[in-house]
Amino acid sequence: MLLSLARIIKFGFQDVWRNFWLSLATIMILILTLFSVNLLLSLRIIGQAAVDNLKNRVDISIYLKQGVSEDKILNLRARLANINNVQEVVYTSQADALESFRQRYQANPEILQALQQLDQNPLTSSLVIKPKDPSLYENLIEELNQIQDPLIASRNFQDNKKLLDKINYITDKINDIAIIISSIFLMIMLLVIFNSVRLAIYSHRQEIIIMKLVGASNFFIKAPFLFSSLIYTITGVILTAVIFYPFLNILQPYLDTFFFGYNIDLLSYFNSRWLEIAGLQFLGIAAVNLLASYLAVGKYSKI
Amino acid sequence: MIKFNQACKFYPPQTKALDNLSLHIQPGEFVSIVGQSGSGKTTMVKCLIGEERLDSGKIIVGDWDITRISNREIPYLRRQIGVIFQDFKLLPKKTLAENVAFALQVCGKSPKKINAIVPRLMKIVGLNEQMDRYPGEVSGGEQQRAAIARALVYQPKILLADEPTGNLDSINAEEIIDLLQKINKFGTTVILVTHNREVVNNLNKRVLTVSDGRLVSDQAKGKYII
Repeated sequence: MLLSLARIIKFGFQDVWRNFWLSLATIMILILTLFSVNLLLSLRIIGQAAVDNLKNRVDISIYLKQGVSEDKILNLRARLANINNVQEVVYTSQADALESFRQRYQANPEILQALQQLDQNPLTSSLVIKPKDPSLYENLIEELNQIQDPLIASRNFQDNKKLLDKINYITDKINDIAIIISSIFLMIMLLVIFNSVRLAIYSHRQEIIIMKLVGASNFFIKAPFLFSSLIYTITGVILTAVIFYPFLNILQPYLDTFFFGYNIDLLSYFNSRWLEIAGLQFLGIAAVNLLASYLAVGKYSKI
Repeated sequence: MIKFNQACKFYPPQTKALDNLSLHIQPGEFVSIVGQSGSGKTTMVKCLIGEERLDSGKIIVGDWDITRISNREIPYLRRQIGVIFQDFKLLPKKTLAENVAFALQVCGKSPKKINAIVPRLMKIVGLNEQMDRYPGEVSGGEQQRAAIARALVYQPKILLADEPTGNLDSINAEEIIDLLQKINKFGTTVILVTHNREVVNNLNKRVLTVSDGRLVSDQAKGKYII
């Protein structure tokens, strides 16, 4: 048994080495497939991060009446913070609002001059509410609308809702299209892999026939080819990682510049999930390879 | 040793490859099976090595009814029947010795046994000087000798030769037939399936003539009569 196992491994390596160019072509196809899959995954991560970031920038503001005591405002803030889908409620006092306004328009002396001519601070204090899940925006607005408090001067709900609806619509469409394109792409790649493995085994058909004629068992005929498939898969996954990580290192600074402030870190994403990603890719490709090998060897060993 | 009992094999739509064929080959015999193309000779060979199944009838090899042999049992049958073919069926990327050793390796024999068996067989077939040559570097006759050596690795009781001289010139063909006779003298039953009239007539051994899947003649010291 051990001797047979040793021979299966030996024949598997021999098969890969003696058909070097065919093996290289098969491994190259695997690398191209896995690289493309990783690229698709990266695009999805970038897209998702960009959309999430955009959603996080959408907040709900409640503007308060002037001259209200700070205690009452903090009470209202606590009430709002207790609502289910509220992540955070930020209180901006009249003075803070004015300071922020000044900062924003420091390069515009005309506006600042106009502000100085006013006797009092024209800005109101506000409470900015950030939702936990922007997709539940509508529910949150409903709950906020139920809160009737004499402190509240106005609310900005409606404009933000339209914006969020638009973002959600675009995100859903992008996701749908991405899933369709990824599925088609994956299907093509799996077929390419399937056929290249079949082609590799086709070139061994004479050997398979001879093995059958000299009385080799079906297991002994199939096993070296299945083992070769595993060698192709492992080599393909490792080489893809070896090529993809330097590519990510080169890409990351460009992402940082292009998506400034969006905090899109592909390198950390892949680093924290490399085992999961490489493992799933290995399992997927190995399954396709093994199935293709099994079917192809079976076809030529039917004598 | 080998019994075909009312063996029938049909190929769609209407070809009767074997039509109620019955014959009996004794242990240690040298039998030539002759017949025109499409007469059923190759189907007989295929059925004997488990490549094809009969539609009805029986084939018995020794005490073993191989008519309904399972896929799992076929390798064991093939280790008991050595087979050689017109096109030699050698692996071009292996040397002659490696080709012979390959048959032992795939069936799990130890390197020690392989190292003992292969040189001995190569000597028997007269290839001890060409062991490390590749099939492409030797003559057709030498390739067929290597194929015979490979067929003998399990010391089979039956050697099935399907048109072994079909790709050889007359001198090489004669040498191969001499080698088959030598093997037969050691006690191996040899079944020679051939078209070669000269070979059959010179042998002066039992000749079975097959036509349209039926046995039409069985002569103890026969000639090629078609």
